[in-house]
Amino acid sequence: MKIFITDGSCDGFFTAVFDAYRLPDAAITSDNRIQLSFDCEVERVNADGAKSERVKRGLSKYDRSAVADILLVLRSGNGDKEQIAFEYVKTIFDKKTCVKKAFNIPSVEIFRETRDKVTLEAHRMKGFLRFTECADGMLYAPYSPDNDITDMLMPHFAARLKNQIFVIHDVKRKTAGIYNRQRWIIGRVGEAKIYISEQEKTFSELWKKYYDSVNIGERPHEKQMRGYMPARYWKFLPEKKDG
Amino acid sequence: MVDENKLKILTEAAKYDVSCSSSGSRRKNEGGLGNAYSGGICHSFTPDGRCISLLKILMSNECLYECEYCPNRRSANTPRAKLTPDEICELTISFYKRNYIEGLFLSSAVCDSPNRTMELLVETVTKLRRDYNFHGYIHLKGIPHADEEIVMKAAKIVDRMSYNIELPSEKSLKLLAPQKTKQSLIEPMKSLKNAIEYERSEKSSRRILPAGQTTQMIIGASPESDGQILKLTQALYRNMNLKRVYYSSYIPVVKSEKLPSVGAGLLREHRLYQADWLIRFYGFDVEEICDESENLSPDYDPKCAWALRNMQLFPVEINKAPLAVLLRVPGIGAKSAYKICEARKYSELSFDDLSRMRVVLKRARHFITCKGKFYGSDNAIQIKRALLLEGINEKAEQLSMFSDRATAISALTGEI
Ligand code: SF4
Repeated sequence: MKIFITDGSCDGFFTAVFDAYRLPDAAITSDNRIQLSFDCEVERVNADGAKSERVKRGLSKYDRSAVADILLVLRSGNGDKEQIAFEYVKTIFDKKTCVKKAFNIPSVEIFRETRDKVTLEAHRMKGFLRFTECADGMLYAPYSPDNDITDMLMPHFAARLKNQIFVIHDVKRKTAGIYNRQRWIIGRVGEAKIYISEQEKTFSELWKKYYDSVNIGERPHEKQMRGYMPARYWKFLPEKKDG
Repeated sequence: MVDENKLKILTEAAKYDVSCSSSGSRRKNEGGLGNAYSGGICHSFTPDGRCISLLKILMSNECLYECEYCPNRRSANTPRAKLTPDEICELTISFYKRNYIEGLFLSSAVCDSPNRTMELLVETVTKLRRDYNFHGYIHLKGIPHADEEIVMKAAKIVDRMSYNIELPSEKSLKLLAPQKTKQSLIEPMKSLKNAIEYERSEKSSRRILPAGQTTQMIIGASPESDGQILKLTQALYRNMNLKRVYYSSYIPVVKSEKLPSVGAGLLREHRLYQADWLIRFYGFDVEEICDESENLSPDYDPKCAWALRNMQLFPVEINKAPLAVLLRVPGIGAKSAYKICEARKYSELSFDDLSRMRVVLKRARHFITCKGKFYGSDNAIQIKRALLLEGINEKAEQLSMFSDRATAISALTGEI
């Protein structure tokens, strides 16, 4: 078996596909810590724009949304994301047609599920992200999503908080989206030093008060709450943080 | 700054209003703060399992009216509070900026004359839009007996309005909410509907109530059957073009001889929502679901109950049945039906294909064939028992009671 290890970039992935997909027994990953067995051959992939382009063009011939779908899957926090995308690519080239909705083919169903988890989380975060107001008026939202979705959130919040300056900080991946009332960029951020505004505490307290008051105590249904709002997201929610 | 205690009083007074949905509007941000997202967004969930999307408060809970079931009625001995328009605006803006909420759901008790109350509500939302430059979602409750002119003014500013019809019959309304007449609730609904339709036909760019109208009624405070309730529901969808009819199962917070001493079960509310779902998305007519004098079966969901009464229509072939028929198979929800229709274009589907596609087959297998093969039971009693067992699990679960469409779909519950 031959294993292709990429640098984690999208071009890296498509380059690996170019090199791997004719081999009978190949796998792709960007995980450096992967456990190797004795009979494995390892190849480090250098992203190659030309190869990547050719694979993308090949895919688009059969399915115009395939590349966009793959880019979504490559944001996944699932360690097997490259392999899942690779199997999907192979299925398309195999069948020489768009397989997007052939849900009875296992590689397609797993691919869809992985992609939907990414879009679901991006949707959820439009609701669950919490901004803190800083002393200079900037809004700061730290979070730790399962998938790499910050740039999917930026257009939404830039349209919404048009007249504000804000930062969305993925503390796990150490990246941040920054908006300055005109445009947004994604950058690398280590630790962020934040000076919280004087009013901040008042409003987060009011919000907690609201949260507690709007609940109907006679009808507990914690399980449903946890289903819709998984506990791993709570540490960034003022209403759930301590209590 | 808003006082914490006031916020508590006015939130607790508003919390029995079920609606919290923020869907249906695409309002744009015109250089200030906020826009609307047509699918709706949930910002948090409370321990009762409900979504928080909007800041849902009363402007005031001082009331001139005497609705029997209401903790804020005139004669009630309860703490009262009132917020000024500026306080409401400030609170909305500061919550919105922090992404706590999607917008505002503002309601009020009839604190002054109906007109004066409605005027104050309109003043508040006008201020929020104009002075505070807010373009997020606003849902405004209509005050019965307020003049049409003021109501229409409100409709041009906000995204959604609702007049709650409160009770499922005029008789119960007279008994339990004597100051609210059927006319005072239905007439404004009708005017708003006509205004929306007129404006759409004119194709003007200014939009009245982009997210339409909704209503709510209390279930179990009065003797109406589920059949009556559903018939009314269907009429409201068809004649008033409502986006949603919400049910709020009665909770005895007020002691009164005119009211039952026990609350309506959540299961009843759940079944009504399932039936409502069938009417709106699954192509069912209320007559197929429940006779006017009858109640829904607590044991089976309404689609199962319908299928059991119509066994002669089953099984249906999964590779041939049109979408509308697939939607009627117990256990196959909208998402599964869609996946089946798409996947069978590539190849004929077998039973194993369905499970690979994660279609839940526990109930469905008794009602379908795959490539002509049947995998269920022929024995009607066995089928009933299998469905009944499912029903019991579901009673323990009681999912999706309050969910609006967006939340229900995203969590894949509510599909039956
Ligand atoms: S009008 Fe009726 S329901 Fe509304 S606050 Fe007053 S008493 Fe309560």
